[in-house]
Amino acid sequence: MSALGRILLVEDDPNDVELTLTALEEYYLANEVIVTRDGAEALDYLYSRGAFASRSNGNPAVLLLDLKLPKIDGLEVLQQIKSDEHLRMIPVVVLTSSREERDMVASYRLGVNAYVVKPVDFHEFVNAIRELGVFWAIINEPPPGSIRKQ
Amino acid sequence: MDEASTAARRRMAWSASFSGKPVAALWPYALAVLSVSFGLGIALLFQRLGFRAGQVPLLLFAVATSSWYGGTGAAALAFLLSCLAFDYFFTEPLYSLYIVPADIPYFIVFALFAALITWFSAVRRRVERDLRQAREHLEIEVVQRTRQASLLNLTHDTIFVRDMDDVITYWNRGAEELYGWTQEQATGKDAHELLHSVFSTPIEQIRQELLRTGRWEGALHNARADGTTVMVASRWSLQRDERGRPTAILETNNDITERERRAEEIRSLNVELGKRTAQLEASNKELEAFAYSVSHDLRAPLRHMAGFSELLQKNIASQLDEKSRRYISTILEASRRMGALIDDLLSFSRIGRAEARKSMVSLGQLVEEALAEVRRDAADREIIWKIGELPSAYGDRSMLRLALVNLISNAVKFTRTRSPATIEIGPIDHDPDQLGLFIRDNGVGFDMKYRNKLFGVFQRLHAAEAFEGTGIGLATVLRIAHRHGGRAWAEGALGEGATFYFSVSKTSEYKI
Repeated sequence: MSALGRILLVEDDPNDVELTLTALEEYYLANEVIVTRDGAEALDYLYSRGAFASRSNGNPAVLLLDLKLPKIDGLEVLQQIKSDEHLRMIPVVVLTSSREERDMVASYRLGVNAYVVKPVDFHEFVNAIRELGVFWAIINEPPPGSIRKQ
Repeated sequence: MDEASTAARRRMAWSASFSGKPVAALWPYALAVLSVSFGLGIALLFQRLGFRAGQVPLLLFAVATSSWYGGTGAAALAFLLSCLAFDYFFTEPLYSLYIVPADIPYFIVFALFAALITWFSAVRRRVERDLRQAREHLEIEVVQRTRQASLLNLTHDTIFVRDMDDVITYWNRGAEELYGWTQEQATGKDAHELLHSVFSTPIEQIRQELLRTGRWEGALHNARADGTTVMVASRWSLQRDERGRPTAILETNNDITERERRAEEIRSLNVELGKRTAQLEASNKELEAFAYSVSHDLRAPLRHMAGFSELLQKNIASQLDEKSRRYISTILEASRRMGALIDDLLSFSRIGRAEARKSMVSLGQLVEEALAEVRRDAADREIIWKIGELPSAYGDRSMLRLALVNLISNAVKFTRTRSPATIEIGPIDHDPDQLGLFIRDNGVGFDMKYRNKLFGVFQRLHAAEAFEGTGIGLATVLRIAHRHGGRAWAEGALGEGATFYFSVSKTSEYKI
């Protein structure tokens, strides 16, 4: 647990963003979260283009991906990541309100690393986000090439 | 026709009795003897009275009578007797059988006359016999035909015969019944004109086929006497005479108006069904889209309400009075409840939509699994479990498991006020086509008056604060039972516990 991985959060709902950041604050993970508000912006970050052309190199340690997104939706982003040689190793966690089987099946088909349904209950939600953050940003050894803060 | 047939029968019996007995064979000869004796008697009387010329015609008359009524044998006997009598009584020397040569031509002429008469009468007899036979044949034929015709009249099927010019020659009772024309009215009329027949194929084509194959089958529209139209399945058979020339057409008609109407009805119902199915599929898709958006879009604001209320509570709880703190906790409780409702509603709708994966499932094992799940939530309760031997069922494992979890947790919930609570689970055998189980508890029970409401969506028989729940659990159970070709029902009394029954179809034929 010597290093913190960077978390890329792809979420269009500002309330969810705020709740997620609040949940991560407790473990001081919030500062390492990059928030993108739709699929296009997320891909811009990953490919260091557009608004993110001048960002520091390296992939995030984990991508928290909502499915229902403006412009390019979550499944498309996932497909793009998993079909790109340089991005496919990034762990992707789908974080969604949808409990629908077809979303789950489609995500796993595309090679998602985890599928988490956002709990309605605030405590459960905070716990889930916290555990995700702790696991992927701290416990898990990210693939080589990820941005880490010593 | 009855009279004719009995007369004919009598005649046949009469001739049969005559030709059969030996006594009957002798009567022509007796006739010959009698007529010759009679002729001779008169001739002798004439001779006594002084007439000398009467002998030959009288004896010839006797031969003629014998040959006319007795046949050739009788004629020969009469001729022989006549010759002897003539020779004995009327030629010189009298009273002797001696013939002087001068009389021989006399005898020859007599013999020729007798032969001629015999021949004539033989011809006449033959002609008469032929005629009689022909008439008898004809009568038998008539009897048989009449019998056949009356047999054809027994059937309610429409049968009629027409000649090659389509003129009706026979019209049975079935035809009378179907078309309303009597036999007298129809016979002699042109069939197609009478019935205003409408053919589906050109009549010439039909005729050609009939002449070629001897038969034709098809559907026709005919008119009844009252002007209404009837659709018939028509069968034509061609009758030919012994030389192969077509002579008549036998036609049978079956009324298929009703059948065609039904078939048309079925066709239109099928079309309608297809439309409905498409509509249903469309609305099912809509429902699915709706459920999806409920699942996805309704949760997010709920989470935010709960989340930010929680944050609010955390931040300023210390500054709030008791009342305000209660307000916040009410908001939190309400959002939790709404979340549970949405979850239950979604799982309920999923049961209707999801594909079932059928296999043999041990209900006993499922009960064990459900118990393990339910016991976790009731660890602090004192519950006596009585589990009987349970059968295996063919169905969707996860659905059946959900049904059992719902039923068992229901029993646990409504026995909360009992200590110890007793919950009994056992098999039922109420219907040879079904198998299932019962779950009996000693809980608060329910009023049988409301048993129909138990299994409805969002139906609750208890105040929310007394027993928590969304009112979807039993509706889900019922839906699972229905998807397995089974039933779910309950018995109980207020304050005296309740028994819930759950069954599924024994056969795997039902659609789930």
